[in-house]
Amino acid sequence: MSAWAERHFKWLMVAPAVALILALSIYPLLFSLWVNFVNYDFQIPGHAFVGLQNFAEVVNDPLWWSSLLVTVGLSLTVVTIEFILGLALALAMVEMFRGRGIVMSILIIPLFISPVIVGQSWALFLQRPFGPADYLLSQLLGRAVTISWVGEVPWVYFAIVIADVWQWTPFMFVILLAGLAAIPPHLYEAAELDGVSHLQTFRYVTLPQLAPIILLAITFRLLDSVKLFDIIFMLTGGGPGTATYTTSFYLYQIGFQQFHLSIATAGSWLFLILLAVVIMVVVRRLLRAEAA
Amino acid sequence: MAASRGGWRSGRRNLGAGAARFLVIGLFVIFVLAPLYWVVITSIKPSSDYLTVPPVWFPAQPTIVHYTAALFSYRGLQGLLNSLIVASASTVLSAAMGTMMAYSLARFNTGGQHLAFWVLSQRFLPPVAIVLPLFLLFRGWGLYDTHFGLIVAYTFMTLPLSVWMMYAYFRQLPKSLEEAALVDGLSRWQAFRMVAVPLAAPGIAATAVFVFIAVWTEFFFALILTSRYAFTLPTVFRAFLGFQGAQYGEACALATTSLVPSIILGILVQRHLVRGLTLGALRG
Repeated sequence: MSAWAERHFKWLMVAPAVALILALSIYPLLFSLWVNFVNYDFQIPGHAFVGLQNFAEVVNDPLWWSSLLVTVGLSLTVVTIEFILGLALALAMVEMFRGRGIVMSILIIPLFISPVIVGQSWALFLQRPFGPADYLLSQLLGRAVTISWVGEVPWVYFAIVIADVWQWTPFMFVILLAGLAAIPPHLYEAAELDGVSHLQTFRYVTLPQLAPIILLAITFRLLDSVKLFDIIFMLTGGGPGTATYTTSFYLYQIGFQQFHLSIATAGSWLFLILLAVVIMVVVRRLLRAEAA
Repeated sequence: MAASRGGWRSGRRNLGAGAARFLVIGLFVIFVLAPLYWVVITSIKPSSDYLTVPPVWFPAQPTIVHYTAALFSYRGLQGLLNSLIVASASTVLSAAMGTMMAYSLARFNTGGQHLAFWVLSQRFLPPVAIVLPLFLLFRGWGLYDTHFGLIVAYTFMTLPLSVWMMYAYFRQLPKSLEEAALVDGLSRWQAFRMVAVPLAAPGIAATAVFVFIAVWTEFFFALILTSRYAFTLPTVFRAFLGFQGAQYGEACALATTSLVPSIILGILVQRHLVRGLTLGALRG
């Protein structure tokens, strides 16, 4: 027995984790593959075979397409802003100064807060007319400002972007800071000796050195931002109307508010396939970075 | 010392650049703290201070009534206890399974790169694609709205994190001590348990904290897989959707209760943050 265990040690060590992933991910995904092609609806009994009808329901729903558009638009916007702010912060924080440790601890706080609370906090902060945001803006601009941050297009998009940027800029910042700190100092010394300007040093030394890490940070964030759900759930509820339905929120509404589970499943498979291509490329790249 | 580096960084000698630096940092610190301050301060405001112009920045008479209301009238206490149970149990399971698998991957290259790749790819699956079928299956398996069901789901959800963080950690540790232990007649399991695990303890501890925070703050799985019994703290916030009836104080009291522990834990392991955020791909 123990000789057998010794011989198969490496497989026994991976067995629990692999078994769990098989049971909770692979099996459910296979199961949902079947759900795709049957009726699975809490409002219609039975699981009759329906062919491609679930997929047809999804792609014929204009809301599905608009949710994809909202998802892509919001993702690109937040990731761009988070990257720019994160890079600016990282450049500002890379050198030592007194109190840097405390500032560092403050800057990373949003990473440890539930997105539900982030959504709720911003809902409260932006609340009209008694939240601090409108009041501070009024003071700043010298005239009364009452913006319906979560009730009106386009302000509602600003509200979502602000909340997401608040939570995830620290992610970019922390990773880019690590990247900056890892750039060999001699490159800067050489540039300085050659009398290269600061801007050129940034363009020809910092950016190329940082490129792989920028790519890593952006792809990580993009893959997570397309799942945007929690902030929508708490801050806008998809509204006004359906203006802020992201794909995850749309599928949640179809599956768990209307209980058309097989339609939602078909939609989530389409979503998965769209993402799978990107995931493959990214994970392979990460793996190469790890092997290097 | 980084300050001695040249190039654009010597811009710190330039007064304008120095001011810009501290402006960027200062503005962002305010941006981070503003909503947090508002939440914490609202949690101790008497109800009469909610709806005023200008806003009350600090209440004349702070109160803790919202905390008792949030914990007892909104079932916040049960959510808190459920979160503690579920997060602790899945942390132990995920860290244990992850450490074992990572050790096997790092030392024996088990399954080549494919197995490691397969685990990592789970991290990027959209939760909605997993949760929909899990919801249907859990109802059949009797796991819906149970602590055990949620623990199992979260253990799965955090496995890529534990496996990859520990994978990176073990690859840094020298093999020689384990090899010496094998020569001394220990079994492979004993070498793992008595030599490798103690050496990796700081890494395991950091990994466990990240897993705990991930579970503590998670919303979507809990929203779908639980209902009246095993619900966790983040799902309690549904009660405050739209803020009807102006339960600002209760909502903020609950938010404060939830965010204080995870912020403290996060700051404790900030040294390992880069590793945690990139699943070990970067060392930081």
